[in-house]
Amino acid sequence: MSLLDLKLLRDLKALKSQAFAVALVMACGLAMMIMTRSLIASLEATRADYYRDNRFADVFSRLKRAPNAVAAQLSAIPGVAAVQTGIALPVTLDLPGVLEPATGLILSLPEQGELTLNRLHLRSGRILVGRESSGEILTGEAFAEANRLRPGDEIAAVLYGRRQNFRVAGVVLSPEFIFEAPPGAALPNNKTYGVFWMPYKELATASNLDGAFNNLSLRLAPGASEAAVIAAVDRVLKPYGGRGAYGRESHPSHTRVRDEIQILQGLSVGFPLVFLSVAAFMTNAVMSRQITLQREQIAILKAFGFSNREIGGHYLKFSLIIVVSGMGLGTLGGIGLGHQLVDMYTLFFRFPSLEFRLATPVVLAAIGVSTLAAVVGVAGAVKAAVRLPPAEAMRPEAPSSYRPALVERLGAGHAFTASFRMALRNIERRPARSMLTMGALALATGILIVPNAFRDGIDYVLNYQWDLIQRQTVFVSMIEPGPARTLADFQALPGVVLAEPVRGAAVELRSGNRFRRLAITGLPPRAELFRVIDAQERPFTLPPHGIVLSSKLAEVLAVNVGDELAVRVLDGRRPEFTVPVAALSEDFAGTAAFMDIGALNRLLGEGDRISGAYLTVAGGKWDEFLRAMKESPVAGGVVVKNRIREGFRETTAKSIGLIQMIYLTFATVVAFGIVYNSARISLSERQRELATLRVIGFSRGEVGAVLVGELAVLTLLALPLGLLIGSGFAAAILTTVNTEFVRLPLILTPYNYAFAVLIVTTASVISALLACRRLDQLDLVGALKARD
Amino acid sequence: MAQIENADPTAPVFHARALRKIYGAGEAEVCALDGITLDCHPGEFLVVLGASGSGKSTLLNLLGGLDTPTSGTLLYRGWDLGGADEASLTRYRRDAVGFVFQFYNLIPSLTARENVALITEIAADPMSPEEALHLVGLGARMDHFPAQLSGGEQQRVAIARAIAKRPAVLMCDEPTGALDVRTGMAVLEAIEKINRDLGTLTLIITHNSVMAGMADRVLTLSDGHITGEKRNATRAAASSLAW
Repeated sequence: MSLLDLKLLRDLKALKSQAFAVALVMACGLAMMIMTRSLIASLEATRADYYRDNRFADVFSRLKRAPNAVAAQLSAIPGVAAVQTGIALPVTLDLPGVLEPATGLILSLPEQGELTLNRLHLRSGRILVGRESSGEILTGEAFAEANRLRPGDEIAAVLYGRRQNFRVAGVVLSPEFIFEAPPGAALPNNKTYGVFWMPYKELATASNLDGAFNNLSLRLAPGASEAAVIAAVDRVLKPYGGRGAYGRESHPSHTRVRDEIQILQGLSVGFPLVFLSVAAFMTNAVMSRQITLQREQIAILKAFGFSNREIGGHYLKFSLIIVVSGMGLGTLGGIGLGHQLVDMYTLFFRFPSLEFRLATPVVLAAIGVSTLAAVVGVAGAVKAAVRLPPAEAMRPEAPSSYRPALVERLGAGHAFTASFRMALRNIERRPARSMLTMGALALATGILIVPNAFRDGIDYVLNYQWDLIQRQTVFVSMIEPGPARTLADFQALPGVVLAEPVRGAAVELRSGNRFRRLAITGLPPRAELFRVIDAQERPFTLPPHGIVLSSKLAEVLAVNVGDELAVRVLDGRRPEFTVPVAALSEDFAGTAAFMDIGALNRLLGEGDRISGAYLTVAGGKWDEFLRAMKESPVAGGVVVKNRIREGFRETTAKSIGLIQMIYLTFATVVAFGIVYNSARISLSERQRELATLRVIGFSRGEVGAVLVGELAVLTLLALPLGLLIGSGFAAAILTTVNTEFVRLPLILTPYNYAFAVLIVTTASVISALLACRRLDQLDLVGALKARD
Repeated sequence: MAQIENADPTAPVFHARALRKIYGAGEAEVCALDGITLDCHPGEFLVVLGASGSGKSTLLNLLGGLDTPTSGTLLYRGWDLGGADEASLTRYRRDAVGFVFQFYNLIPSLTARENVALITEIAADPMSPEEALHLVGLGARMDHFPAQLSGGEQQRVAIARAIAKRPAVLMCDEPTGALDVRTGMAVLEAIEKINRDLGTLTLIITHNSVMAGMADRVLTLSDGHITGEKRNATRAAASSLAW
């Protein structure tokens, strides 16, 4: 080992805690980058493999009923490579030991062989093949896990109004249901919603669809135009009640995964970049100080004949060792966190196996960037040091000159103590360093705001959707729209206090070339249980004419109040008409359109019909109500509000909890690292000054206050700035969650701010105290003798 | 633990008997002071002469409360300074001692006035910073920063800072060591004036024997022992000294 390297090792040992602090901050940035980029790589690669291996379809459509022979017509459409027809039906389930009903979707398995498209992946048990039909079903894994169902277990289902017992033959996954949730849901609720498969024959018989299909998936030939195929499919299915075909980009499960990847992409650039910049600044600060301290050593080395290149290399090595440790820690941390997040994603997304895949090119790029940052960080200081002629370098640096701080120059300094003046003047003397220190602390404060804003936003949305808008106990949907008098049957169920009808109609809304397919919800004008809310959170009466759109839908369709909207009903008699937009409503989940139920029924031209009801049920009669509900022949699906809400809470708590832990760790590391490092550098630079104060009678605490006074001022300035930056971060990130499925409002609470301030202050105080412990080692006599 | 409040104002300011200070241990053991016996009285002007390594700085460290003796007795006005703990030593330095160093040791970020105020903010019965600066003849340059002052001026600020608390003892370690003759003279005049006007026990530690003339008593230190003690019948004025 060369003597310079030996010196390097010993210098490093003396600086180990500072070097460690820098390495930790760097590690945070890198860990974040590795974690997010690797998750993106994992999700994308796993999804691509899954789609390919299990032949995920490209185009999808539901319809009322078409004879199986129509499949040939569909296959003949140019650009169609494969067709899978089948039956999809809503189902209500009665789980053993669970009183509240669950709902779901039940799909058919082909009569011969395997599914052509959207093939199932068997998890346990066996696949049902062919015509065999022995009262068995396959269950989606998420639902099976949430309800602890295993092959061999029995569940009862109400299928097309008939109650039947089924045995679970196998637990499966489907590429169509990576996100196993009802369409439009932002988070899954696997306890109350599931997907099932059963042989075609049995399902067709139960639903009077024998020899027919109501669900279609298509795979496109390479190079085929999706839009052309969709148009052709719609033409073919029109006589059979086609509800409009759509591509993957509108497929609920696919889009949910895509949105998640988008959010990760946002996170994978911004935060790591900021962390790495802070680390580069810290490296620069540590190395500059080290080089200043070693001015004489550098001069001696040069006097002995070491070249500038050798000396420069020596200090570069120094910073590279810090970088390498940061990289090592960051890579390990990123991989560890990545694995944990992969586990979290399995809560939402069901893949045959979602494995963590290290995004190696990204890791290499990150290492390259960090190394470059470190080199740039020290290059300036090294250059200045080696440029000094030896003789000059051996002379001490000129005394530093000061002037009164800005606030004092403005005449506001009379009341300040001497130590406070010192702090202010030191800050002003090195504006760049002060700004960067403050910036890093502000950043630490800011990133703490984000996860809490997320949580508060979600809380707000949950309360909004389920207290302000939906005030029912349960929502009961019917298999098919029925006569308005059915409401009386619901009203007569045990415990029902209030029942309000709802009429849903699948439509295509069009304005110019913008269109959306969704259901218009017809409600009584002054509904109490499902209320239409305006932007000021006030319920309003549905106008007798015209349509009310949720503001997100209006934005998507680019219409405003007073504009005309073309409506094409996709069901029943399929009338087409135009309606004026009468008002806009506010909500946070999905897109919605409302009309007065009477007005809607008139336009649909099928008489007074309802497709479901919102009910409030008296608490005491709850069990009785649920039993009656499970037996009811008209109820196609039952949604218990509080159960969905609980499921939601659980899932968000888990995911937000993990994210919060990560952000908290990172913020603490940055606050701790920056304060500790600044205090140590300041201690080194001001050793003589601090020793003098001790000698002339300042106590250790008083000298400590002088040492960290500057940092205290910077921290105090950084906190409000950090809250501001954090609010900005939160706003920016929450707007990425402004999709048609879910939107999060920016809710910033005093608690959120207080939490961030508390964490950063605590981390700063503790690290300052740690640095102050070094004051004990201050050599009082020595510092007075030496002239810098 | 002995408290400085217990000090007896009628006792000698310092009372040292068989004072020893040993640094290091074993092979590396160095005996910096070896059996010093000494009494210092209020208002006295002492000059301690010695070559480097003679132990004069160690003596100043012990008397100034910067270090504690290995053995022997050291009393400050009857209070056991040699056996004091860290907190009491800090208290002692804060209330009783004013230090003047060779390299001034001013806080560069504070003006002359503020450097003095640093002490007057924490001392029990201080004079105003302005008064202290007038005493050393720097009334006109109070709002200058150290970097804007000459070496002699900086040292006079250091003296003002040392005496603003009205200390019982003023300790000066090579106060003119970094100055040319003219400015050094001005600094010594300031120290002399403080001793005369305030009656502060003044100790100057130096290797420059010229200063011996201005003292009441001159001690010569060599190899950790007091090798000479001389009383001057009359004190020479600082302005009459030449080196």
